[in-house]
Amino acid sequence: MLEFITRSLDASMIFTLAALGELIGQRSGILNVGVEGVMLFGATLGFIVAQTTGSYVLGFLTAVLIGGIIGLLHAAFSVVLGGDQVVSGMGIWIVGFGLTTYIGSPYTGPLGMERIPAVLGVSPFFFVGVLLVLITWFVLQKTSLGLAIRSVGENPAVAEVSGIKVARLRILCETVAGMLMGLAGAVYALNYNPVWNYNFLMGWGFIALALVFFSMWNPWFLLGGALLFGTMWQLSLNPEMVLPGVLSRYIWRTVPFIVTSIALVLMSTPWFRTRWGAARPQALGLPYEKD
Amino acid sequence: MKIGKNEFKLEKRTSLSGWQATSIAVLAVLMTLFLFGFIFLQAGISPGMAYREIFSYAFANKHGLPLTLNRFIFLLFTTYAFILPARAGLWNIGMTGQMYAGALSAFAVLYAFGAQQSKSLELSAGLVIPLMVLASMLGGLVIGAIAGYFKGKFDTNEIVLTMMLNFILFWLVSFMIKEGGLFMNPGGRGESFELPPSVYAPLIGGVPFTGLVAVLIGFALEFLFDRTQLGYQIKAFGKSPRAARYAGIDTFKIPFMVFLLGGAIAGLAGYHYFAAVPGVYKIARNYGQFGDLAFYGIICGLISQSNPLASMPVALLFGGLSIGGRFVQGKLHMAFGVDYALLGVLMITLVAFQFFYRYRIVRVSLDEEDGHA
Amino acid sequence: MTQEEKSQPVLSARGITKRFPGVVANDGIDFDIRPGEIHAILGENGAGKTTLMNILFGLYQPDEGEIYIHGEKVEFKSPLDAIEHGIGMVHQHRKLVEAHTVLENIVLGHPHAGTILNLRRAEQEVRKLCEEYGFKVDFRAKVWQLSEGEKQMVEILKALYRGAKILILDEPTSALTPVETRLLLDSVQAMAKKDLAIVPFITHKLPIVLEISDRVTVLRKGKVVARLETRHATEKSLAREMVGRDVLFRVERQEVEPGKPVLEVEDLVVQSDKGFLAVEGVSFTIREGEIFGLAGVSGNGQQELVEALAGLRKPVSGRIVLDGVDVTHLPPLERWKTGLGYIPADRIHMGSIGDFTLVENVLLNYYFDQEYNRGGILDYRKARQMTEQLIEEFNVATPGPDVLGRNLSGGNLQKVILARVLSRRPRLVIADLPSQGLDVGATEFVRNKLVEAKVNGAAVLLISEDLDEILDISDWVAPIYEGRFMGIVPAAEAEREKIGVMMAGYNAEGVAQ
Repeated sequence: MLEFITRSLDASMIFTLAALGELIGQRSGILNVGVEGVMLFGATLGFIVAQTTGSYVLGFLTAVLIGGIIGLLHAAFSVVLGGDQVVSGMGIWIVGFGLTTYIGSPYTGPLGMERIPAVLGVSPFFFVGVLLVLITWFVLQKTSLGLAIRSVGENPAVAEVSGIKVARLRILCETVAGMLMGLAGAVYALNYNPVWNYNFLMGWGFIALALVFFSMWNPWFLLGGALLFGTMWQLSLNPEMVLPGVLSRYIWRTVPFIVTSIALVLMSTPWFRTRWGAARPQALGLPYEKD
Repeated sequence: MKIGKNEFKLEKRTSLSGWQATSIAVLAVLMTLFLFGFIFLQAGISPGMAYREIFSYAFANKHGLPLTLNRFIFLLFTTYAFILPARAGLWNIGMTGQMYAGALSAFAVLYAFGAQQSKSLELSAGLVIPLMVLASMLGGLVIGAIAGYFKGKFDTNEIVLTMMLNFILFWLVSFMIKEGGLFMNPGGRGESFELPPSVYAPLIGGVPFTGLVAVLIGFALEFLFDRTQLGYQIKAFGKSPRAARYAGIDTFKIPFMVFLLGGAIAGLAGYHYFAAVPGVYKIARNYGQFGDLAFYGIICGLISQSNPLASMPVALLFGGLSIGGRFVQGKLHMAFGVDYALLGVLMITLVAFQFFYRYRIVRVSLDEEDGHA
Repeated sequence: MTQEEKSQPVLSARGITKRFPGVVANDGIDFDIRPGEIHAILGENGAGKTTLMNILFGLYQPDEGEIYIHGEKVEFKSPLDAIEHGIGMVHQHRKLVEAHTVLENIVLGHPHAGTILNLRRAEQEVRKLCEEYGFKVDFRAKVWQLSEGEKQMVEILKALYRGAKILILDEPTSALTPVETRLLLDSVQAMAKKDLAIVPFITHKLPIVLEISDRVTVLRKGKVVARLETRHATEKSLAREMVGRDVLFRVERQEVEPGKPVLEVEDLVVQSDKGFLAVEGVSFTIREGEIFGLAGVSGNGQQELVEALAGLRKPVSGRIVLDGVDVTHLPPLERWKTGLGYIPADRIHMGSIGDFTLVENVLLNYYFDQEYNRGGILDYRKARQMTEQLIEEFNVATPGPDVLGRNLSGGNLQKVILARVLSRRPRLVIADLPSQGLDVGATEFVRNKLVEAKVNGAAVLLISEDLDEILDISDWVAPIYEGRFMGIVPAAEAEREKIGVMMAGYNAEGVAQ
């Protein structure tokens, strides 16, 4: 049972990091539906680098770096060229899926390094995750930079005439977003489940994306949602730890996706929207062009 | 940017003619082939040689060509499943799940006739095959309709929803064919029971009849978009949901219909690959890789600019490339997943080339005004 | 400030030229402004005001020409540069983040807001400004809760807080009630007394120009056509400079005998997106041969009322009868078939589809028509013929019917929409802000077409923020305020001042409602 809890916390932190990245990007108005793709890149390259150099640090740095680069490219495509953010995001996902399958396949198998030591009984990434949530909340709500980011996401034209460099700020946010997603991927592949396999993520990134919608763009709600989904995901992997013998394990695997779908639908009902809909950044997903 | 006496400027396109779109698409494909060449170089293989192998196997080899054609048919169905919602401005990335649902439904018909018990069961092909086809369409339709219903009713994010359905169906297939599932092969290798030969899909020139169906659907879709009222409504909704609503177009019906029809066509892809392609005739253990292939539908749809007729040559090319790629991978001892890498490289160039659909490069001679490139 | 400083221009523009594909938006514009001066820029839509404004505020860079601040040449690469040189901008379409508080909007982008936001200090400073100019506003309120006048005040405060010395006001009175207009003009004069330079950009409201400005610069087709001291100007002379004749608009008013009722609305209640009641029980009737003018400042329920009539928004209660048919619960398409003709306010996103050809755009109101739709198959050839005919009939300037909608100018696009809707010979025409943003020629065209429709026996509901437009062509005037009609007045008895007061929430007797 204790192991189940620590595993659940680990899983939650992967959701937290990836979704937090997406939240920062979305707050600035950029939608990246390719979270899963960025995570795949971070996980695969981080895994390869860590295994070949024997250094966790280099592995994580690589993952953050590649995540940042992808975020930057996505931002450049969306902001500078005014492209369709969904096309680019889908591209990131398919590219990530396609290329990492090819790049990673020679490394199929376990990482073969000593596990990252636990701190106070849980993985150190638990503290990293909570700290990053705190920092994100503080920056967004309490600083000038945060006000600028929120304004850019709500109404870039207003930010522009207030003297804020919209493009620069969006690129910054989306780069940071990519870095967090890359990190999330690496936490998966280097800590949570240090084995490389074909298509190992199987939906983590898409659930992280949905979590941002569920969080009402609030980092603390996001943390709560991630804890819930992390636990649920863990349960779907090891139902025997809690409810042995009930339902096939394959049916258990569908549970997180069914819950996500139901939550997604409930949140889009008019009942919910008239009450809570205002939290959505108004300019989310829209290219900004001076008129 | 200034080069010599000329200045190059980006200018937003005001219109894009058919041949311009075509030439951009052709350029994108050529660019992909060029970039993809680096993957062979990196593996120490001459790209020229690799491409010769790929194309000759895919299009001129008696083993390769049927594989290419069957994959072409599969890609066409998944492409249509993407195109229909795409014309309405919506993203169907759930063709994988819809395809699985189609396959499961087709096998459910066989199961109902007791085909799981015995491989040599004599079934009436004239009855069972149409039933299987209809069931596969119905299965895909139901999964598509779930996404379409909520999209139309509540404007639920269709990307996340269809993706969630993919995973749900993926695990449902496992549930059905593995570890004591209803459709499990009595031999128990984690795959479904096999199709009795009596209901193998009829072949037309060595290709399952589904090929004819796929081509016919392509023309039907072209007619739908080009001439019909429903097609007009779909296009109007896709270009501007607000204007469509203003004009009295039913903003529930359109998203619902396109996902419903798209899902039904994706369901056919499930029938085609698991019940009509010679040599398969079962839901294989690695069915997940067939599911991944369905994502080629997104790319074919994007390259052909959601034009059903244009998507035919595109799907044929990519069908061949992925088959040929897998062949050289084995022959030249490359790492697994060459066809996946192709998927990735294609998508990179495709996104990069989106740019050219929106902008054009204009050459301004610094000596005199104007002059277009 | 010394007398000498005061006589020196704080800002001068020399030879400002800006070209866009196909047009020269600004052609060698010179102009300057001194501290404490109110210098109006006058010009009709399309004369180049917006471009000039965007150049002065750093949103566009001119192709030619220079800007000087206190005699020093400056180059604005972005609004930030303009703000740092003391330019403040108050936009016609308020540039505020609706979801944020007033104070957050005011400090947004301010360099001294603190890395960690110090809202308390900012509040004290802004409060001081408020006292200085007599502004009153709740700093903690969210912007979407404010009235248009309050939002404008927030924009002015924001500019002042950033240290603006030159204030650009874009159509300052356009969305204000007469009462709010009075308040604004007073504070503008107060600001001018404190040596601020003020540049209002105005399209039609000549009396405002005459009342507050010291000097006027008139633009026409991108060029300065007149520079004059306001005391030498009259409404007629300004109109002549602007459009080349003594009056801005010429519309032939025509009286016809009203026929039977076409639209009957009973006690209609409609909810807004945010969940409050936007229309609180209105009842009215429009007959054949009548134009019913709905006068009001935007945001008083017009939008929701129109949407309810067109079937785009479900009413909470009440009844809508169109040509004898109860359409209250019918979907939009059934209403079109019953005789609705709706010209929406947002002609770019709602009234047309930019990526559609004109033929396809025309089909928006015809795709369901028996004549163009046989068993679900559309007759594109016939639609093309009709489009060609409409282009000719309505003088649409376009190379042909296969041009994409987005390549048409605003005026021509509106003509296409008008042609498409009116050619159906609708029983009821809803014209929502039909002349917004159009130049004088197109505005006259639109108004005359509405009068023509009425003469042909249609009932017309005209929604406008421009009281003059309503008074010019309507038979009935209904001032709307916070979702209620303040009365329904026959146009013959409608006095401008009285309607203005009613638009601010008073009934015909002047009692606040």
